[in-house]
Amino acid sequence: MKRRKIQMLVPVLAGLTLLSACGDTGETDTASETANVELANGMTVKAQIEARQAQLKNIGKAFKSISDQLKADSPDVAKIQAATAVVPKEAAGMADWFPAGTGPESGVETDALPIIWEETADFNEKVAAMQEAAAELDAAAQGGDVAAIATAFKTTGGTCKSCHDKYRLDD
Amino acid sequence: MNSDPARILVWDWAVRLVHWLMVVFVPLLWWTAEEGYMDWHRSLGLTMFGLVVFRLIWGLIGTWTARFVPMVRRIGSLKSYVGKLRNREYSPSFGHSPLAVFGVFALLLALVTQIATGLFSVDVDGLESGPLAVLVSFDTGRQLAEVHEFNFNLLAALIGLHIAAIAVYHFVLKANLVGPMITGRRSRADFAATTLPENRTRFFPMIGAAVLSLACVIILLSFG
Repeated sequence: MKRRKIQMLVPVLAGLTLLSACGDTGETDTASETANVELANGMTVKAQIEARQAQLKNIGKAFKSISDQLKADSPDVAKIQAATAVVPKEAAGMADWFPAGTGPESGVETDALPIIWEETADFNEKVAAMQEAAAELDAAAQGGDVAAIATAFKTTGGTCKSCHDKYRLDD
Repeated sequence: MNSDPARILVWDWAVRLVHWLMVVFVPLLWWTAEEGYMDWHRSLGLTMFGLVVFRLIWGLIGTWTARFVPMVRRIGSLKSYVGKLRNREYSPSFGHSPLAVFGVFALLLALVTQIATGLFSVDVDGLESGPLAVLVSFDTGRQLAEVHEFNFNLLAALIGLHIAAIAVYHFVLKANLVGPMITGRRSRADFAATTLPENRTRFFPMIGAAVLSLACVIILLSFG
C-alpha cells in the first residue's frame, strides 16, 4: 500500500512540476513598445538582446567543438585552437551587452533576470572572471597541451555556470 | 513459493528487475537533470539505455508474457475485453491485457525517444552533451535537447496513466497487479483458460540478451 502510494507520487509530481514549468515560458513574446526604444549605444532594445543572444550562442557553439575534441581519443588540437580563439573575441565587451532596459520588462524574449541590474557590480565581476578564464583557455590551447586545455576549459565552463545560475532564467 | 502449483509464473525475474530499476531510475534521471548533475545523468541514462535495449531484445526472445508478437496478437480481443470492463466484469489476461499492450508499446516508445534524443542532446552553453552529440551540430543537438525535454512530459504523463490504471484495477476491479510484479506469480485459478502458454525462463536467451545489451552500452561508451 505504502509502496504504491509513493510510486504514484513521484512521477505524478515530476509531471506536474514540469508541466507548470512549461506554462511560464509562453508569455514573454508579446509585442511591446519598449522593444524598439533606442539605447545610448544606438541599438534598439530588441537588437541589443538579439545581438547578445547571437554572441552567446557562438560561444556555445565554440564550447561544443572544444568539448567534442576533448571527448575524442586523439583530440584535434588545431580544431580546439580555432574554437578557443572565438571565445575571447565573442565575449569582448560582454558587460556592455546588458544596458538598463534590456531585461524581461522590455517584453522581448530574454532569459536575463532583473537581478542583473540590481547586483550590477557582482555581475560585472563574474563577466570579467569569464573573460579572463577564456583568455587563459585560449593561451592553454595555443600551448597545445591537451590536459592543460581540459583543465582551463573546465574553469571557463565554471565561470559561465556561476553567472548563469544566478542571473539567467532556469530553463 | 516456487513449489506451490496453485501460483504460476506470470512475470519472469528479468521483466520484474527491469521494471523496478526503471521505477527507480526515471525519477533519478529527472532529478539529476533538474539539479544539473549531468555526470550522474549521463551514467544513469546510459544504464537506462542498457535496460531498454535488454527489454526490447527480451521482447523478441524472452518468456511468452514478455514477448511482443503474442502481445500484438492479443489486440484482437481488445473490444470484448473493454466491453467486459465496462460492466465491471474482469477476466484476467495471462500477461498484459489487450488494453495494457497499448500501454507497454506507448511507454517503450516514449523511453526509446527519450534515450535516443538524450544521446545527441547539447545544453544551451555547449558545455554538457550526450555521448553521441559529437556526431551532430550545436543547433541539431539543441533541437534534440528540446525534444528530450518535451518528451519527458509525455513519458511522465504515460507513467501517471499507468499508475492510475493500476489503481483502478486495485480499487474498482479488486485486482492486485503490483503483487505479481514483485513476486512474479499469480494464482492459477485467476485465469479461465484451461491451458496456458509455456512461460518458462530460459537460460541461454537470457544470457544472450544480457550480453547483447551490455555490448551496446560498451559501444556507446567508446564514443565518450
